Amino acid sequence: MKILAAIAWRNIWRNPARSGVLIAAIVAGLWAGISVSSLSNGLIVQRFNNLIEQDLTHLQIHHPEYLSEREPWMVVRNTDSIFRLLDNDERVRSFSGRVLSDGIIQSPVTSTGVQIIGIDILNEPRTTNFHLNLKDGEYLDSDLPNPILIGERLAQKLQMEIGNRVVLMFQDIDNDLASAAFHISGLFSTSSRVYDERNVFVRAEHLNELISGDAIIHEIAVILYDAAEADSLTAELNRTFDGIMAETWYELSPELRYMSDFGDSVTFYVMVVIMIALAFGILNTMLMAIFERMRELGMMIAIGMSKARVFMLIMLESVILTLTAAAGGMILAWLSVRYMESNGVDLTVFGGDSLLEFGFDPLIYPFILMSDYFAVTLLVIFTAILAAIYPSIKALRLNPGDVIRE
Amino acid sequence: MAILQTKNLSKVYNPDTVPVHALRDVSITIDKGEFTSIVGPSGSGKTTLLNMLGGLDKPTSGSVWVNGEEITSMKESKLIDFRLHNIGFVFQHYNLIPVFTAHENVSFIMLLQNRSKKEIRERADDLLEQVGLGDRKNARPVQMSGGQQQRVAVARALASEPKFILADEPTANLDSTSAMNLLDIMNKMNREQNVTFVFSTHDQRVIDRARRVITMVDGAIHKDEYRDVEETAEN
Repeated sequence: MKILAAIAWRNIWRNPARSGVLIAAIVAGLWAGISVSSLSNGLIVQRFNNLIEQDLTHLQIHHPEYLSEREPWMVVRNTDSIFRLLDNDERVRSFSGRVLSDGIIQSPVTSTGVQIIGIDILNEPRTTNFHLNLKDGEYLDSDLPNPILIGERLAQKLQMEIGNRVVLMFQDIDNDLASAAFHISGLFSTSSRVYDERNVFVRAEHLNELISGDAIIHEIAVILYDAAEADSLTAELNRTFDGIMAETWYELSPELRYMSDFGDSVTFYVMVVIMIALAFGILNTMLMAIFERMRELGMMIAIGMSKARVFMLIMLESVILTLTAAAGGMILAWLSVRYMESNGVDLTVFGGDSLLEFGFDPLIYPFILMSDYFAVTLLVIFTAILAAIYPSIKALRLNPGDVIRE
Repeated sequence: MAILQTKNLSKVYNPDTVPVHALRDVSITIDKGEFTSIVGPSGSGKTTLLNMLGGLDKPTSGSVWVNGEEITSMKESKLIDFRLHNIGFVFQHYNLIPVFTAHENVSFIMLLQNRSKKEIRERADDLLEQVGLGDRKNARPVQMSGGQQQRVAVARALASEPKFILADEPTANLDSTSAMNLLDIMNKMNREQNVTFVFSTHDQRVIDRARRVITMVDGAIHKDEYRDVEETAEN
């Protein structure tokens, strides 16, 4: 094997220009593939984390029909017992109750439909990191009467500033119309423009006073230490309590699950496409190498080199050539990804601002898992072997008597 | 003692379309220590016969026996292994491995035989000394003349300690001086080490040195003569 590897290595460098071009192609292909994959990973994982950590959390509890009917009276019952269970469960990092209402926000200039979210200002910041999106002003612990947080874009639309008064109109628990004035304490901005225009935040107790007069809860958001525990805790909650519906993040947002699944396999898909293209390059190079060396290979078989060894020699040439290039490609890709990982890639210069419309952050922090490098290496070896099979079979079919005479 | 024997060997190319009778009923016996030339005009069948003797081609009928073992019915994998341990080849175009040095080219066949590193190194050194290339062992084929390359090919053929060496037109691409030098080396090995050589050639210089000359015409043996040959000045 050692001697075959030595011959293979030297054969690769017999024609440095040809091998060099193939190596350059593989290096460029792997670098591009891994870089694009890391960008995609960053984009998807950031979107995933934004949604989970800012709003969705790992599981939510509602009245069984609340999400389809959104009636104000569809509140979560037995909240004390549920809170006790969540408090005592080691899987739970934190949880927070929310009061929800669909309504209209009015300014002297215009009005628009919004979801009003009443939050527990102590527990919400422990459960989500939404408060980190505050760009200007104060959080809901402001001294302003009836403070409200609205999105920067919504503020522009309403032509309102911090400290200005807006009016919220919504249905109370008896389906009567209620309205109240709120003062803008702060402006937030997330990576989703739609979210920023459609959601406003007030203190839960203020909204409760207006909707029912009691401390009602429409939604309990639960964040876990390990997202993988969401299934078991959700099932346990549904088993333990009647009249509630606990759902995991992927039941609440199936598209997020598809995106997450796609994110897991994007590297594989990108690399398969690149490898298919490179396989033809490897095949061409190996075929040329075989055709050039017909007589030499015939001589080797004539003097007693077994065909298995000839087959192995061609395979080794292909694998060593490809792995040499792959090492270069992966080192280059690793350096690129490391740089991008720490500095981020600002897609706004490429018109990436429009990503905000779809809830994606235009400043991407690409990353790639070590397991992806390992998978790429396996894929490279597989491609090299696949591409070398035909040339190897060609070599095996050589009749030494014929080729030596030629 | 017969080291090589053919019995009624025939070879027909394209039997179903335009049959070409390359060999017709060839029966010869070659004893250990012979220095034999197979001669004849182009197309007479000498290379075909050499390929059959070396197990590089299968006859249409008849058989080839090496050291009492029939090789014509051997499976390909067994035949390749048989060649590795029993037959040495010297080709017209040298056919050295271009990415190897002279020493590595000679060592290669012994590596295939799984010999020890020490034995390989010492034997390759010794053989290169014997062919007068002790000082060129690190040269690659491209850095050597045709004559030097062919001497490396002879050393390689001897490296595996074969029963006999088949040389197909070994001097065809060499100038006079290189050809004579090569013949001197092979002649010396034949006389001193009793190495059996069988050549196919139409080079008169080779024919003049051969102690047995088999002449072929149209695929059949036309003449088979043993001769007394004067030793060269070197000897």
